[in-house]
Amino acid sequence: MPWLRRILVPLAVVVIAAALGTFVIGRARVTASSTAMQNPGLRLTAASRLTSRGLIAAGRTLYTQTCSTCHGGDAQGSALGTDLQGLGGAAVDLWLTTGWMPLRTPGLQPANKPVNLTTAQINEIVAYVVSIKPGGVPVPTNISLKGASASEGFYMFSLNCAPCHTITGAGDALAEGFRAPSLHSVTPTQVLEAIRTGPSNMPRFGPGDISPKEALDVALYVTKYIKHPADIGGIGLGGVGPVAEGFVGLFVGVGVCLLAAYWVGDRTARGDGEAHGEGGEDESDHEGDAPAAGVDDRSYSETTSDTADA
Amino acid sequence: MIDGLYDWIDDRLNISGGGRKMVNKIFPDHWSFMIGEIALYSFVVLLATGVFLTLYFVPSSTDVVYHGPYIPLDGVHMSEAYLSTINLSFSVRCGLLMRQMHHWAANIFIGAIVVHMCRVFFTGGFRRPRELNWIIGINMLIFAIFNGFLGYSLPDDLVSGTGIRISYSILESLPLVGPYLANLLFGGAFPGNALIPRFFIIHVLILPALIAGLLGAHLTLLVRQKHTQFKGPGATEHNVVGAPMWPTFMAKTQGFLFLIAGITALLGAAVQINPIWLYGPYKPYLATYAVQPDWYMGWLDGALRVMPHWQTVIGGRVIIPNVFWPAVVLPGVTFTVLMMWPFIEQKITGDRADHQLLERPRDRPKRTALGAAVLSFYFVLFGASATDVLANYLNVSLNIVLTTFQVLVFVVPLATYPVALRICREFQATPGAGKTKRHNIVIRSADGGYSTVPTEARPGDTLRELEPVALDASIYLPALVGSPSYEPVDRAGIGARAAAGGTYEAVSVDDEAEGAEGDQGLAAATTGAEGGGRARSRVFRIPRNYRGG
Repeated sequence: MPWLRRILVPLAVVVIAAALGTFVIGRARVTASSTAMQNPGLRLTAASRLTSRGLIAAGRTLYTQTCSTCHGGDAQGSALGTDLQGLGGAAVDLWLTTGWMPLRTPGLQPANKPVNLTTAQINEIVAYVVSIKPGGVPVPTNISLKGASASEGFYMFSLNCAPCHTITGAGDALAEGFRAPSLHSVTPTQVLEAIRTGPSNMPRFGPGDISPKEALDVALYVTKYIKHPADIGGIGLGGVGPVAEGFVGLFVGVGVCLLAAYWVGDRTARGDGEAHGEGGEDESDHEGDAPAAGVDDRSYSETTSDTADA
Repeated sequence: MIDGLYDWIDDRLNISGGGRKMVNKIFPDHWSFMIGEIALYSFVVLLATGVFLTLYFVPSSTDVVYHGPYIPLDGVHMSEAYLSTINLSFSVRCGLLMRQMHHWAANIFIGAIVVHMCRVFFTGGFRRPRELNWIIGINMLIFAIFNGFLGYSLPDDLVSGTGIRISYSILESLPLVGPYLANLLFGGAFPGNALIPRFFIIHVLILPALIAGLLGAHLTLLVRQKHTQFKGPGATEHNVVGAPMWPTFMAKTQGFLFLIAGITALLGAAVQINPIWLYGPYKPYLATYAVQPDWYMGWLDGALRVMPHWQTVIGGRVIIPNVFWPAVVLPGVTFTVLMMWPFIEQKITGDRADHQLLERPRDRPKRTALGAAVLSFYFVLFGASATDVLANYLNVSLNIVLTTFQVLVFVVPLATYPVALRICREFQATPGAGKTKRHNIVIRSADGGYSTVPTEARPGDTLRELEPVALDASIYLPALVGSPSYEPVDRAGIGARAAAGGTYEAVSVDDEAEGAEGDQGLAAATTGAEGGGRARSRVFRIPRNYRGG
C-alpha cells in the first residue's frame, strides 16, 4: 500500500528523531528533586518548635534518631562520622538540605538525593548541633540578591567554580572518584554555605578569597542564570557541551538525513503515464498509480523512464 | 519565450551538446548513493548561513566592553570577536538561528562525509579507476575537520579558547621545529592578537575555497568516470542502470536539498548548540572543566586522554613530548593510510582491474571486518573524549573510566574484527540473507536438529540476489581484504583497453547511438525476462563508453 508508506515513512522519521532526541536529553538532564518527602517515622517529633529551647529539644530527638549512629550522641564524632562540634550551622544545614545526609551508603562522596527531612526538621537539627558547641560558620540569613551583580558573579564563577563545576554548572567527575555536583537546582543559601564551608572535596573560600558581596554575586549568577539560564536556542542538552552535541549531530542530524536519503533515494518515476516535461506533476502522485508498486520498490531493475524518446 | 532565450544562449555558448549529455546522465537508484549528497547539501547550507554570519562577525581580538541585553556579561571586557558573536546571538534578528544552523550543518557535513566514505570503502567503490576520487574525498574530509575546528574557535569563548590552547601545545610538541612553527602560525606566543583574524581568513576563504575546488573535481570525476552501481538485473561492468538526470534525478535531488536544509533548520531552531554566552569570553587564566572539541575532533581529544605519559627524554631534555604521539602521529598515520588504501589493497589482492560494479560488504569479509575494526577503534577514542562526562553520569571514578578506555581501545577493535568477519561469512553462506520479503520455515527434526527451508519464491524475490561465485584462487590471493565472491570480470578485455588507451573510456564513441533504440547509446531496452514473470517496465541502460553527441 504505497499511500501507507507515504504516511508511515515520514512519521517514522519524526518518531525516531524524537525518540533519539528525548533519550539524549533525558540522559543529559540532571533530575534533581528538591521536594522533601515526609518520613512517617519522624513526623511525630516535629510537632513542638515554638521556642528556641523547644527547637533544640526537638532537634536533639531528631539528631538521636538520624545522626547519632555515626556522629555520636553529642556530635563528638566516631569512627564512622566526623566531629560536628563547633562546626557551625552552615555546614550542617548544607549537608542536610542537599540530601547528602543522612547518608544512604557510606562512601567517598554522598550524592544529591531527595531530602527526607522537612525544612523545619532541618532547622531543629541545626539548632541542636549549634547548641552543643557554638562557633563555625552560621547559617546565612536575610539573603538579599537585590544589589548583587550578575556580571561580577559570572566572573567570580568562571574564576573559582567553573574549573570543577564546569562553566555551565552541570557538574562533572573529578579525579579518584570525587565529583563536583550539578548546580542546576541549588538555592542561594546553599551557594553561600558551600562557598564558606567547602563541603567534601571543595575548597573553602574565606571572605579574603570571595568577599561577602562577591559571594552574593555568585549566588545570583548561579541561581538565576544557571538554574534558569537564558536558554535561548532550544533544548539545552544538559549543558555538558560538545559531547552531547556531537551525539545529537551524529545520531539525530546525520541519522535523520540518512533516513531521508533512504526515503528519497529509491524514488523513481514509475508507471507509463509519466512523460518528461510535465513539470507540474508531483512525482509521488504517480507512485499510487503504479500497478506493481509495493512488491519490492527498491529493485534496480524497476528503474524506469520514458525519456528515451527524447 | 523560454525557447527563444534558450536558443539565444545556445547560439552563443553551444550548451546543447554538453547539456544533453548532462541531462541524460544516469544515476543508479540505490539510496546509499545519496549519502554524499547529504554532505554536498549541508555544504550548501554551510555556505549560505556562513555568508550571513560574516556580515555580523568581527574577526578581531581588540578588547571591548559589552553592553547589551545579556545581563551577566554587561560591562565585561571581551574580544570584539566574542562580542560580535554575543550580538549575533542576542541582538541580530535570526542571528542565533543562523549560528546554530551553521554549527549543526558543520556537524552533519563532516558526519555525512564520514558515512559516505564508509559506504565507498565497504562497497569497494574506491578501486581502480576511482583511486583519485577517493584521495580527493579524504582530502576534503581533512580540510573539513580543520575548518570545523577553526570555526569552533572563532567566537573566542572560554571553551574554544581552551581548545586553541591545546592545539598550540600540539604544534609545540613537534620535535625541534614545534615552538617555531607555533610562533609562526599564531604570530607570537599564545594567545596573541593575530590568532582570530588569521583563523577567520583561513576559515571563510582559504579552506572553503579548497573544499569547493576539490568538490568540483570530485563531481567532475564522478561524471567523467560515471557512477558505480551494485550488481543487479541488467547492471553489468559495462553499463549504468538507473534514472536519468532529467527529470527523475533532478526532482529527487532538489527535494533532497530542501530536506537537508529543513532538517538543519529544525535542529538549529530546536536544539541549542555551543551556548557561548554561558561560557564567557576567553581569558588565558580562566579555565572550565568538561571541555571537549566537536565530535569530529573528539577522537583526537580521546587519544590525548588515553595516552599514557610516555615521552622521549635525551640528555635530560624532552625531545618528543607524549602529546606528539596521539595528536600528531595518530592523525598523520590515519589519513596517510586512508589515502593510500586503494593502493594498499591493490598490493594485497593483486587486483588491478577496472571495477564498475560495487561489492556488498559481505562479499569481501576481511575488508569489511578490517574496516569495522578500525571504525570501532576511532569510535572508542571518541568515547574516550567524554571520560569525565561518562564518569559523572555513570557515577564511577574518573580514573576507572580512563583505565577502562585504555583497555577498550585495543580490545574493542580486536573483538570487532572476528565478529564482523563471522557475520559476513554467515551472510555469504545464506543466499538471500538480508532480504526481508522471503520467509524461512524452521523445521525441527525428530532427533532435535533444526533446519531452515526457504518458502517459495514470490515474483520479484530473486531480483537483487547475487549468486555466490567460487573463489578463483588463480586471480585473487586469499589475503587481508578477503575473498571476492562476485563474478571475476573480463580481465582480458579490460587489460586490452588499458593497454590501448590507458583508461577504461578509451573505446570509441558511437555517435549515432543517441536516440536510437538498441543496446548501444542511450536506449530504453525492454527487458521482461529477468523479473521472474513480474510485469516490469523498461530499464534504462547506458554503456560505460557512451559520451553523448
